[in-house]
Amino acid sequence: MTTAPQPTLPTSDKTFALSKRLFVYKPGLFAFNLLMWGMVHASPALLTLAVSGVFRQLEAADKLRLAGTSTAGNIEPLVAAAWVAVAWFALVRVSRFGIFYGAFRAWIELWYTLDALVRRNMLAYLLTARRARRLPDTPAEAVTRFRDDVDDVAGYTEVWVDGWGFVAFSVIAITLMARIDPTITLLVCAPLLLMVVFVQRLSPIIRSYRRRMREATGRVTDFIGETFGAVSAVKLAAREGQMVSHLVKLGEVRRSAALRDVLLTELIRGVNTNMVNIAVGLVLLLGANKIRGGALDVADFVLFIGLLPRLTGSMGFFGDAIARHRRTGVSYDRMNRLLQDAPRDQTVQHHPVYLHADPPELTLMPAAGTAEAQPLEELRVNGLTALHPSGMGLHDASFSVRRGEFVVVTGRIGSGKTTLLRALLGLIPTDSGTVSWNGQPVEDPASFLVPPRSAYTAQIPNLFSDSLRENVLSGSAPDRLDRAVRLAVLEPDMAQLGSGLDTPVGARGVKLSGGQVQRAAVARMLARDADLLVFDDVSSALDARTEAVLWDGLFAETDATCLVVSHRRTALTRADRILLMEGGRITDEGTLAELLERSEEMRALWAEDGGEG
Amino acid sequence: MRPPLPTPYPDRMTAAAPPSDTRSSSPPPKSGALAVLRTYLGPLWWRVLLLAVLLFTATGLNLILPQLLRQFVDGAKLGAAAPVAQLAWLAGVYIGVAVGVQLLTASATYVGARVGWRATNRLRADLMAHLLSLDMHEHKERTPGEMIERIDGDVTALSNFFSQFAVRVFGAALLLIGAIVMFYRENVWIGLGITSFVVITLIAMNRVRKAGVEPTRLERESSAKLFGFIEERLAGLDDVRSLGAGPHHLNRYLKVQREYFGRSTLSWQRRSVVWQLSMGLFAAGYVAILVSAVGLYSAGAISLGTAFLLYQYMNMIEEPIDQLTQQLQDLQKAGASLFRVGELLALRSSLPEGVQQLPAGALPLAFQNVDFSYDPADATVRGVLHGVSFSLPAGQTLGLLGRTGSGKTTLTRLVSRLYDPTGGSVQLGGLDTRALKLSSLRSRVAVVTQDVQLFQASVRDNLTFFDDTLPDERVEAALHEVGLGAWLARLEHGIRTPLPAGSLSAGEAQLLAFARVMLQDPALIILDEPSSRLDPATEGLLTAAMSRLLSGRTAIVIAHRLDTVARADRILVLGDGKVLEDGPRDVLAANPRSHYAGLLRAGVGAEGEGVLA
Repeated sequence: MTTAPQPTLPTSDKTFALSKRLFVYKPGLFAFNLLMWGMVHASPALLTLAVSGVFRQLEAADKLRLAGTSTAGNIEPLVAAAWVAVAWFALVRVSRFGIFYGAFRAWIELWYTLDALVRRNMLAYLLTARRARRLPDTPAEAVTRFRDDVDDVAGYTEVWVDGWGFVAFSVIAITLMARIDPTITLLVCAPLLLMVVFVQRLSPIIRSYRRRMREATGRVTDFIGETFGAVSAVKLAAREGQMVSHLVKLGEVRRSAALRDVLLTELIRGVNTNMVNIAVGLVLLLGANKIRGGALDVADFVLFIGLLPRLTGSMGFFGDAIARHRRTGVSYDRMNRLLQDAPRDQTVQHHPVYLHADPPELTLMPAAGTAEAQPLEELRVNGLTALHPSGMGLHDASFSVRRGEFVVVTGRIGSGKTTLLRALLGLIPTDSGTVSWNGQPVEDPASFLVPPRSAYTAQIPNLFSDSLRENVLSGSAPDRLDRAVRLAVLEPDMAQLGSGLDTPVGARGVKLSGGQVQRAAVARMLARDADLLVFDDVSSALDARTEAVLWDGLFAETDATCLVVSHRRTALTRADRILLMEGGRITDEGTLAELLERSEEMRALWAEDGGEG
Repeated sequence: MRPPLPTPYPDRMTAAAPPSDTRSSSPPPKSGALAVLRTYLGPLWWRVLLLAVLLFTATGLNLILPQLLRQFVDGAKLGAAAPVAQLAWLAGVYIGVAVGVQLLTASATYVGARVGWRATNRLRADLMAHLLSLDMHEHKERTPGEMIERIDGDVTALSNFFSQFAVRVFGAALLLIGAIVMFYRENVWIGLGITSFVVITLIAMNRVRKAGVEPTRLERESSAKLFGFIEERLAGLDDVRSLGAGPHHLNRYLKVQREYFGRSTLSWQRRSVVWQLSMGLFAAGYVAILVSAVGLYSAGAISLGTAFLLYQYMNMIEEPIDQLTQQLQDLQKAGASLFRVGELLALRSSLPEGVQQLPAGALPLAFQNVDFSYDPADATVRGVLHGVSFSLPAGQTLGLLGRTGSGKTTLTRLVSRLYDPTGGSVQLGGLDTRALKLSSLRSRVAVVTQDVQLFQASVRDNLTFFDDTLPDERVEAALHEVGLGAWLARLEHGIRTPLPAGSLSAGEAQLLAFARVMLQDPALIILDEPSSRLDPATEGLLTAAMSRLLSGRTAIVIAHRLDTVARADRILVLGDGKVLEDGPRDVLAANPRSHYAGLLRAGVGAEGEGVLA
């Protein structure tokens, strides 16, 4: 039941393999993109050829003029040929315009579709995969995986979509140039290749700068998230000023990281563009000698000068593509780190993303007692151990809960009550021990101990910005609503909440009081009709009478089995059995009377709870 | 933050050259945009000046390059008679100038980035300070994820605007004007033609561009919603998973994503019209310039070198305008972002800021006929408090009792001015709280809420709210005082240890909140259900520290258990938003008909717990 070991870092091949899988998600659309962008990128070679043609004709005419042998008869065909070249130029330009229109739409569709797929896959895994799931970072940090890394991975498609068009252009351009003068072509292209090598050399540095920049950005966004997550605490303590100055500090770190990144990027870009001009200069320099021999003329210069910028650009693109490829590898790594034990290709698996139609409605939660659900007879926990890195946690817990029982877990603060519940339910990784359901070992509690078998309310439950109704139902059938609201003693609040069940609860439920959040979470649990109800200190935000009403309602209307963390007498007096925890271990178990009789700890807890009594 | 999107570059292969005039194309809230520019760029004026110098020089050099090419072409066409030495010299100068242009442009970009980061970091800090100053009504409407998007995402889109506005836009304007002047030097008619071409292109693109602002705003809005959705689900991962609600939330997510997809693709399509237009117009422009060149040449009006020069200058016009179309897209985003930043900055807290300071020492508190409703505008929402009046002498402790939902928490929120009463007044130290400076009020009123909000940061930062000036010893002393000494001793790096996510029990969190109060040294303390998450044994630890803290200070203590308020001087019982009873505790306890006495009896008689009226 422990998490799988970290998968090894990917090699380049893995990035290829993953990206390939991603590309074939919409093979038709991808192919169409290749075709269209290929034409968009390769067509400028034709344009340069046409312009060079224009000047070739004009130059020929010029020579006649200089020689003084020009007549209307020999000049006019040349000028006419120049006009034809102009027309040819116009034709290519206009068609390129049309192609671009289609290419662009296709690209946007492809890009956002792949974006959506990767995001969906990540979220789906976190929400529904088996085994314990704990985020390695804060939620805000995890959101940057969903945003920036997903963008990187999906945007990497661009390298391939554009790439082959640039290859086509480069081949055409080099062929055209080599036909004029292979030596100059070679001498000009060699530095361009050097540049690719240069950029490649720099790419690890770029990566580390980018990483630092990302980390700095992450710290800033994290901090903003933290601040507004705890906004009322900040405001109540009048610490707005400190928070802002801390943001300023983080911003400074980020600024210097960003500037390094900019500087290096500019350096590379400078090298890229300088190469064009140096290459043009080289052509001029080398050509100067050849002109005298007539081996090179103006039209050839026009061709070289016309092709070189885009050729250099292509080389820059290839250098960049390699760097981008590596960055994409890093993004895949980071996404997989978030997903922990997921298969490596989880992010790129093919699933429908429903971008053009709403997803089909889910079949509602199956009612308790469907064929696959085995009603609870006995839940047995054996030797369950779950340790924090600090060595604290749960040690060797064994107990059982039988159908219809009300079992209370009690103990001091930090005695491991919450850890016990979370380990049992598979919400945190465990180190050893077993959980069995009706005698059958449960292989993966995280996916097994869910409705209709078990349901859970956390000590500090999370609600989502939505209506109260949506929060309570969370996918359950609407006919469960009334009973759940009544049993959770949420009815008296309806009058106070403006729109009753349709009241928006606000971000993380802030519009409700602590008790209302707690009871809404209980209602959410009850709407799912599970055999085993697990409450973690649900009474903490409820007054004793409300709590009493809650337990009475549950006893009267359901035959639910309850496992409850509490130190309240309200719960303890109702318990069939009590598990007493100390220092991460279950130190005693029995009825209230038994424990009060023999346990000093139990007497201490009991006495201090009922001070007035 | 949607980072500078991996643009499907429409036609990016032209060398990095700066684009053109945008003074006419700044985003819709023009005056707001200019004011923001003035505020944030003004203090950096000398850097801005340096930027201008760099750009002027770079542009001047850039304009020389085609002249060099013309001389070369006119020399080269002489063929056998070509002056080789002069051509070689021209080639050398060409290379030198080209390198110079690049160095200058790179420096300009770097300086621009520095300016941009400085300016936007300031803006981020100001925005955060502003948002923190808003009242809780605002915060309830927004998720932390949305705040991240608004403070960082929008501002990052703006950072391009800040840095590139100067570099690209200003530089482009220079280059464009320079190139047009060059056309006039060659031929007035061509000069006129090009001028009208540029004017038409810019006007047309600006018109079209505006169509992109609104869809872009909608896109950003839905991206904030998308990432807010993800963030909330990740924060509440356990709640979702333990209830088996993963598939339901995934389905909801797909719907949110579908909306995002629709809006994103639409806004890209709208924005891409700018590029379409640019490509179309330039197809026409190039054809026109080639036609003119061929026409003028065959008429004998210009030389072959000049014909080539015209073509080269056309490139020089295309470069800035082409780059500009890409910049326009950033500007569009910046426009939309600026609009939203403006919106945010325009929000005003509905809590008026007072000017008075609180006197030192313990302060009396009085409520006079206070009414409160969370939504006073909506008559259907029932108010939470009705005509609440009471007074609490300085230095006394008030025990506040009442059922869940009776308005206890709300009452305390009015004291710390998270909200203002809708009727009546709250007076602290004899002063209406609305007349006080908020910072003065809140730094003297300490609140421990039901839900302790903690940061994913070090223990120290959690207690001091990222204030570096407090000495470590004081922080440690506060922890010892609240009984967390043993806990602190177990931490690996003492108070510098990061608070590990999820490993803190709710009780420990509550104790940390007390330690915060210890550091704050307030005049009035509000304890909202301080013992709700503590087991009785742990609560014992706290009692001593609590009485030290409460002595000499005014305090309101809310508790469900009567023993918590057993040491209170006065008791106030709330029922359904009204004061049921208010008086000295011993008097009420002695009066058998009082609610309090009834509670005491019920507490003894029922379960040993205070079942509150």
